[in-house]
Amino acid sequence: MIHIKNLTKSYGKKVALENLSLDIKKGSIFGLLGVNGAGKTTLLSILNGLIDFESGVVEIDGLDIKKSKKEIKSLSSIIPQHLAFYENLSVKENLDFFASVQYATKEDYAKAIQINSLETLLEQKASTLSGGQKRRLNIAIGLLNNPKIIYFDEPTVGIDPQSRNEILDSIKAYKKYGITVIYTSHYMTEIEKICDEVAIINKGQVVEQDTLENLLSNKVSNKVMVECIYHHTLKELSFDFLEETIISTTQENLCEVIDTLQSYAIPIKQIRYGSTNLEKHFLEVTGEQNV
Amino acid sequence: MFSAMIKKELLLVFRDKQALMALFVMPAIFILIMSVAMRDQFSVKNIAFTLFVSDVDKTQMSTTLLSSLEKEKSFQIVSTKKQAQFFVTIPNGYETNSSKHIVLHIQDSLQDNEIKAFEAIFSEYIYKAKFQAITDGIKLFSPETADKLSKFEFSTDNLYDVEYNHSKLLPNSTQQSVPAWIVFGMFFIIIPMSTIYINERKQNTLTRLNSMNISLLSLTFAKSVPYFLINQVQVWIMIAVGIYLVPFFDTPALEINGSIFAILEVAFGLSISAIGISTLIAVSANSSEQATTIGGISNILLGAVGGVMVPKFIMPESMQHMAELSPMSWGLDGFLDIFLTSADGSDVLQNCIKLTTFGLLCLGLSMIILHVRIKKGL
Repeated sequence: MIHIKNLTKSYGKKVALENLSLDIKKGSIFGLLGVNGAGKTTLLSILNGLIDFESGVVEIDGLDIKKSKKEIKSLSSIIPQHLAFYENLSVKENLDFFASVQYATKEDYAKAIQINSLETLLEQKASTLSGGQKRRLNIAIGLLNNPKIIYFDEPTVGIDPQSRNEILDSIKAYKKYGITVIYTSHYMTEIEKICDEVAIINKGQVVEQDTLENLLSNKVSNKVMVECIYHHTLKELSFDFLEETIISTTQENLCEVIDTLQSYAIPIKQIRYGSTNLEKHFLEVTGEQNV
Repeated sequence: MFSAMIKKELLLVFRDKQALMALFVMPAIFILIMSVAMRDQFSVKNIAFTLFVSDVDKTQMSTTLLSSLEKEKSFQIVSTKKQAQFFVTIPNGYETNSSKHIVLHIQDSLQDNEIKAFEAIFSEYIYKAKFQAITDGIKLFSPETADKLSKFEFSTDNLYDVEYNHSKLLPNSTQQSVPAWIVFGMFFIIIPMSTIYINERKQNTLTRLNSMNISLLSLTFAKSVPYFLINQVQVWIMIAVGIYLVPFFDTPALEINGSIFAILEVAFGLSISAIGISTLIAVSANSSEQATTIGGISNILLGAVGGVMVPKFIMPESMQHMAELSPMSWGLDGFLDIFLTSADGSDVLQNCIKLTTFGLLCLGLSMIILHVRIKKGL
């Protein structure tokens, strides 16, 4: 779906991307990891046709971005980190506006509302929405043009765990619509939760690209990760939590963890054996502390 | 697409109470306050003029005129020409020969507004004296006719010939205040425009719109149209305030002597100019606070220099030249020409062209700055 070869981009003397090469499969949920200043935003801006680059090849859906910028823009959508809509307009007025400027069809308009569960919020002023609802509106706007590719630039910043999980679940659901998702986040566990494949960018270059499974497999480790469905009592348990819903334990203690979860009727989503976590792996690969 | 963008911008402006206050309420209040406050400064009644009268005619009419002038508080009859600002000669045969006019000599040092004020009062006295002389004469043989005559209104045209070099007409307080605060108010679109622009840029909405295949040219055009419409509404609301509201405060109503088309023409140019400079400030500033401060200060400076705060005709000549640098002055002069004289479209065309050119240059520069900022992700 996306083919990037030897991409180079500089801002004056500062090199932002240097001979970066990357391939992203159609319909995958692709995680883009890197510290601040690694070049993630520059890469997203280039893929969205917002900025030009000096050299290299960027092809999206078989189209060369330098020759077909307009077509590429119409088949993709960016969900910015900031809430890129109008707080003083209602949810419906925002959706109407962004739908009109993109000539969205009624079907796509209805689908964006339905996927993001905005039906009951349409008449509400955007400024009065909760953090999670605002994020959903931000995402819904990005779906109005029925994109083949969606770029998520840290879409869960500043929201509660429940809303974050809802958003992550909805992103996972895009797979069934055949949408390719490129996802950047500072939360490694989010990447672990939803992405099929991950690329780690450091100093403008891709230092590693692989499936999540391969990146996390660590045969010598006896670590086990237990992912649960969100439950309010999780906070009261004294396990080693990697994230709100992910418990890190060892093979020896797994039975105890499962017993405890069962006693509180907390459903288990996934158990991963012999694994490291993405954050540790990221630090090993990049040698960076500031993710 | 354009209609959606225009609708969005209008919704945002009309939901911003502070912006509405700055655009509509503030200029209307200024018009009322300044028209009423400056009423007496522009009025002829409080000005005392020194007058030397040479009565060559020495008839009943000339004597009546002289005695009524002596009673008027606005005039001080002096005994030598050196002391006088105005030198009035009532020629021989003035009473009997209607083609003989009073001759009025005016000192060079006098300001236009003093001359106009004197003219206004003096005409009134000539009229009264002539009328009195006629009715007194008729009363001798027909008191009834004289009584009827007193109910007629006589034209004050051609009562005297004036010899002076300046011919500028002066506005009354309403004629000065209405255009001044229209112009000032129009430039205050900087407040909503910069707030919306900067929020859009900061929250990446502009980037989002740009990623939706909306070009900067379309974006700038679509953002300009709503403010153009708002400016046009402002002009007519402020004119209505001048015509209908100001008279309630015992202040002269606004009179429009020129053509409506000329008003539309100046309003067009002014709006393009206001949109241009507002866009330029909005795209250059880093925060809405910064834009509001820069916009407010530049508006006040342009207004002060351009004759909004202080009428240009009372400025020293050097300041009057400096005023020509302000686009507010170009617009103000255009409106004053329309309100005071019978100016039509061609008379204010130059003002309109200057304003439009200035506005388009600012818009062009804004687009370049915005393009660079989006590319740099600022």
